[in-house]
Amino acid sequence: MQLTLEFGGGLELLCESVKIHNVNVDLEAGEEKLTMKDLLSWVRTNLIKERPEMFMKGDSVRPGVLVLVNDCDWELSGQLDTTLEEKDVVVFISTLHGG
Amino acid sequence: MACGLTGTGTGTGTCGSSCYKDNNDGIEDSTNTFSPPSSTTLLPHMKLCYKCKEEEVINSTGGLCGICFRNSLFAKFKQSITTHDLISSTDNILIAFSGGPSSRVVLEFVHEIQQKAQKNSDASRDKLYPVFGVGVAFIDESAVTSIASDDLDNAMQDLRLIVSSLALPTKELHIVPIQSIFSTDLKDGRNKLNELLDTVNDVTGKEDLLCHLRMLCLQKIAFENKYNKLVLGSCTSRIACHVLSAAVKGQGYSLPADIQYIDARWKTPVVLPLRDCLAQELNLLCRLNSLKTLDVLDAPRSGINDLVSKFLTTLQEENPARERTIVRTAEKLIPFHFNRLKETKDTDETLPRRRRRKVNLQPYESVPSEFLCSICCSPINKLDMECLNSKLEGCETNFTIFGASCCPSCQFQILPKDSSSREQFYSLLPRQMTTRASDFIGGDQTWLREQIKDCLLSDSEDGT
Amino acid sequence: MEDNDGKQKKAGGRLCSICTQRKAALKRPKTLEQICRECFFDVFEEEIHKVIIDNQLFKSGERIAIGASGGKDSTVLAYVLSELNRRHNYGLDLFLLSVDEGITGYRDDSLETVKRNEVQYGLPLKVVSYKDLYGWTMDEIVKMIGLKNNCTFCGVFRRQALDRGAALLKVDKVATGHNADDIAETVLLNILRGDIARLGRCTSIITGEDGPIPRCKPFKYTYEKEIVMYAYFKKLDYFSTECIYSPNAYRGFAREFIKDLERIRPRAILDIIKSGEDFRISTTTKMPEQGTCERCGYISSQVCYIFSCLHI
Repeated sequence: MQLTLEFGGGLELLCESVKIHNVNVDLEAGEEKLTMKDLLSWVRTNLIKERPEMFMKGDSVRPGVLVLVNDCDWELSGQLDTTLEEKDVVVFISTLHGG
Repeated sequence: MACGLTGTGTGTGTCGSSCYKDNNDGIEDSTNTFSPPSSTTLLPHMKLCYKCKEEEVINSTGGLCGICFRNSLFAKFKQSITTHDLISSTDNILIAFSGGPSSRVVLEFVHEIQQKAQKNSDASRDKLYPVFGVGVAFIDESAVTSIASDDLDNAMQDLRLIVSSLALPTKELHIVPIQSIFSTDLKDGRNKLNELLDTVNDVTGKEDLLCHLRMLCLQKIAFENKYNKLVLGSCTSRIACHVLSAAVKGQGYSLPADIQYIDARWKTPVVLPLRDCLAQELNLLCRLNSLKTLDVLDAPRSGINDLVSKFLTTLQEENPARERTIVRTAEKLIPFHFNRLKETKDTDETLPRRRRRKVNLQPYESVPSEFLCSICCSPINKLDMECLNSKLEGCETNFTIFGASCCPSCQFQILPKDSSSREQFYSLLPRQMTTRASDFIGGDQTWLREQIKDCLLSDSEDGT
Repeated sequence: MEDNDGKQKKAGGRLCSICTQRKAALKRPKTLEQICRECFFDVFEEEIHKVIIDNQLFKSGERIAIGASGGKDSTVLAYVLSELNRRHNYGLDLFLLSVDEGITGYRDDSLETVKRNEVQYGLPLKVVSYKDLYGWTMDEIVKMIGLKNNCTFCGVFRRQALDRGAALLKVDKVATGHNADDIAETVLLNILRGDIARLGRCTSIITGEDGPIPRCKPFKYTYEKEIVMYAYFKKLDYFSTECIYSPNAYRGFAREFIKDLERIRPRAILDIIKSGEDFRISTTTKMPEQGTCERCGYISSQVCYIFSCLHI
């Protein structure tokens, strides 16, 4: 599945300072859909190069990291249960950095 | 350089590095070993207690041996009792015993001073010197916890043994199911209690409501059995937790009411003699002195309360003096008029802390009444009260009248939001809570208006 | 995205609870309402306007410096203030005021952002540097004293630098980007360190009225989440990297705690601020003494110590 992932608010530093990643995420065998939960564990394994604890806590993002799926707050689409579709854009922004 | 900074103590302090050393605990000092007395047989690596210089130091006591450690805790307990007149010879006190280390230590220490008082009385010629009475209350919450009945039976057996094995004078033990405040029929009470808790959606609110019900139950036992004081085992750690939770729940105004040695807003005044001891110390004492605790009854905390207690654990690991600092901060807030006993006499003027407290209390003597939340009994801030008053206009149902007599925090986390549960919630509440509301508000709202007027007046007088 | 039917379905077809027309784009932490982007811009800006009016933060004709670090809060503050100033005719002269601590790889980059903001929002920018004011950059200070206490040094320096910059700009007030999360965090930190004087002051929306230049916090009740969402939706240009010299674990715990709280009870942030405002603190509590620096005559409680420590 083709997805565009964007990291902002300092999170890009965890993936070699690259903000936008066009990625291809394959569904797990036997799964029919890709959820945010699946995507997060994929990101953690494949994109995050350092300090994963700055990005995740447990199986979700660390509190203080905002997630938007197609420019919509993931709190409206079911957070971890949000299902993703082809060409979706997922944005992660940290609010934890200085202002 | 650092000395200059910490010396002033007024820095922006974003680093908070070295300013909070509290020498009372945690920090073991290698210089405490002094020169060992030759009489004791010592292994060369043994450290000696810095007080008695005879016994071996026990870990995490701050350089004390077992006996001196117990003495130091007992001294703190004794100090708070004498400084604040928490227990007098004519009292009949009820100890709230949860089975945890804090209340276990309270029981032990109270027993010790009672025995001493008894000895003194026996030694006196006419034996007229009165000795205070002691009862023990255990609130059985098995109606709402998922404790296995076997475990509960065992715990009850242990409980009876703990109390009965204490030497004379005999202490009466009251084991009371929490649902008894709802109904004399325990099964009916149990159902009501569970239905009531089911109407509360917020997990923190549920837990806090249960806590308020527990207090009602304790008050009921005290009243029915003619005790005139209720002794709680709240320790520094518990109070530090409460300070943070209250701040997080928006209860900054009422916070100082809950953390003093004396809380006389209840029919039976509440006293906290272990306020200056850390949970860690009390746990250790139970272990060292083999004081049996009923650990099986320990319920995990939930929601906000759980987050706060985990946060505090992290902080305490980073700096062992943190809990004390938190309580000390809250101590600087102005307490309420009911945070002392009416008959408090001035006895010892040599203690600076006591003087400071007196100064803090004085300006509020002129405002003896506070409006208390019908659920949690917290004093309500005058601004919130004005808001509450405006809500009372045109209210009709029992629920809305009751709801308007609750503090904003209880309104948010305890009162049900959906109209279907509201009247049910109200109908299930124990009578003590609903009468509290109607006592204060009455048929009309004159009382409330008077209160607001008083508050505003006293405010200008104080110049605050 | 709105033209894409497939994408609309994903939000469960939820519509904005304010306009009931457009697709909801976020959940407000303050009210738990689900609202669309356009309504969000409106309520966000109007709430700040209301805070400014209710608290009389500014008077017509005043010169106001916006403490600009290039980060999210001050960037959004600069944008919103200049917008509201136009829209509601506040009659304010707005300036950007930045402090250059002299931290390579941190402040030099963020200053570039502020310089772009100067052009984007048409607000005159003044930069004051530690080097010019004190003869030392933060890099040089850290080289000398190591990482211990450097936040205290830097904090005191920055405070004064802002005051001096404000004096140079001849402004009446400095507006800073402290948001609700920051203030809640400060309340907690002051409880944790037993600082009752600061605990009493830290929730005030205007501070230092008796000092040389008062400061105000128009974002006192604004959630950090909304500031970041606003910056993202408006595509505002901000810089986000943690200062390389801030090692403070203890402050980090407090921040993490606030975020954990927000997750289970978003209202907790405002409740902490309410607690801070309601604390019964005696007005006779001794406030830290404000002295005057013997060397420069500047009002200060502490800088003299630091200067003597550094042998400047």
